[in-house]
Amino acid sequence: MDFQAIHDRLRAIQAPGLLGADEPRAPDPEDKKDKGRSGDPFVLVDPQRLGPFLEAARSDERLKLDLLADLTATDPAKDDENLWINVQLLSMELKHRLAIKCVLPKADPVMPSTVPVHRASQWAEREAAEMYGITFSGHPDPRNILLPDDWVGHPLRKDYVFPDEYHGISCK
Amino acid sequence: MAIQNQPDRHEPSYTEGEARSLDTGEREYMLDVRTQDMELNMGPQHPATHGVMRILIRADGELCTGAQPHLGYLHRCAEKIGESVEWLQYLPYTDRYDYLAAMNNNLGYSMAVEKVMGLEIPRRALMLRTICAELNRIGSHLIAYGTYGLDLGAFTPFLYAFREREWMMALFEKICGARLTYSYIRIGGVFNDAPPGWLEEVMRFCDVFDVKWQEYVDLLMNNHLFVGRTADVGVIPKEMAIDFGLSGPMVRGSGIDWDIRRDMPYELYGEICADGAFEVPLGTGAKGTLGDCWDRFYVRVMEMRESIKIVRWCLANIEPGPVLADIPKTLRVPPGEAYVAIENPRGELGHYVVSDGSKVAVRCRVRGPSFSNISVTEALLPGTLVADAVAIIGSTDIVVGETDR
Repeated sequence: MDFQAIHDRLRAIQAPGLLGADEPRAPDPEDKKDKGRSGDPFVLVDPQRLGPFLEAARSDERLKLDLLADLTATDPAKDDENLWINVQLLSMELKHRLAIKCVLPKADPVMPSTVPVHRASQWAEREAAEMYGITFSGHPDPRNILLPDDWVGHPLRKDYVFPDEYHGISCK
Repeated sequence: MAIQNQPDRHEPSYTEGEARSLDTGEREYMLDVRTQDMELNMGPQHPATHGVMRILIRADGELCTGAQPHLGYLHRCAEKIGESVEWLQYLPYTDRYDYLAAMNNNLGYSMAVEKVMGLEIPRRALMLRTICAELNRIGSHLIAYGTYGLDLGAFTPFLYAFREREWMMALFEKICGARLTYSYIRIGGVFNDAPPGWLEEVMRFCDVFDVKWQEYVDLLMNNHLFVGRTADVGVIPKEMAIDFGLSGPMVRGSGIDWDIRRDMPYELYGEICADGAFEVPLGTGAKGTLGDCWDRFYVRVMEMRESIKIVRWCLANIEPGPVLADIPKTLRVPPGEAYVAIENPRGELGHYVVSDGSKVAVRCRVRGPSFSNISVTEALLPGTLVADAVAIIGSTDIVVGETDR
């Protein structure tokens, strides 16, 4: 299935939390500042209902998006008020993919964990949590995964300040 | 540090009453041995972790009752660097996460950026990219083959594997000057054309490798002792493989018919498939249970020969032409985002790149297959023998540089 067909199907089954879709577009010839958007299309989903959405995408007979290939976050800009949660789903049986984006406010980056739906997100969420300071409520194992346990700050945030030293090791 | 989030105590398989009813000798044994859980620290510098990784195993006698991998010893902030340097400058860093398959990493990153840019790649460059990626796959599987034998106590196959890998690396040295971290495939094509005589030498390599490949099968794959160590060990059922987000030989070993090169073809793989030039080997449970360590190993060994077929197809169809698209020295990528997944020797290597139109990426995410593949050990090790832990970890064929990035 192509993206349009998947999006239509998600709307037809009223997938929980589905907010809309974003597709690449050419630059607007009238507006010189507009550069358009290239790349992949994706669907926008409410982060608070991501778990039920993933469950619906997996259990539907015509989607069968049962493999969570990747879950990560993005900090689009320093002055942006939101973080993105990016999920890549895959159906090995029906050979199609779906990209999902959730918009999560930086002021309150809390969302329910998706581990009950996909075991694959357990480590992915741990990485997103330590790198971006997101809290996945209900996560069974919320420890750091790549960073030391006592690391200060969330390195992939755009406003991250590099440390001067770590346990006496100079980081300059 | 204790293992968390797993039940604290392993229940013995017999009650005290049952032990007392046994014959004298056995009864003494059963009552005498107090089973107490012991924590066994494997790594960070253990040869079977294939890098710097630590796995904490809780053992009740010879039985694993819990396992917890600890990552991060090789974390080199690749994604943060990706957001700090220019698009083209990031390319050498991609070599360094899966250092056994650097060509494939170059390819994945270049394809992601090219997709956002909407760049057209010259056909000869696509051919050279495919040849190099497949040769690198053979080299990577040779390491998987050799070190897996090493993990299980068979030293000789490792030396055989390095013999052919040496030639493969010499071929790469001739085309790009580097033996391990190539940066040869780059945004827009490849760095330079193949030197005179290189393609002919690749053809000779293919001819020789076809003969040598049979040695690998005879030496290790059907070896009675090796089969005894790997068959019926570490069985991954299909549902578990999907739930943990596994990919590559890990899912094919479990009998899931999935290969990105064939099922979601990129670059030239669509044409190669249409010509029927290669097949996707699957685990069948021939020596034991479907999805055991032997099946995963079998898939890797068979894939080497399929890669040779792909290289032969490219050698037969390659034509002269330009090898690099016309791109500026300082790249400006239009605003947009893309997730591009390719079939790396270990599975799905995904690059998620986001651009805001400037010289530097907003996000440069790497989805490494080893990261997902090693996560399954948490669920696979409990219930197995400690001696099998090495066989199971080895069969995931991880590269720690990629789990930690």
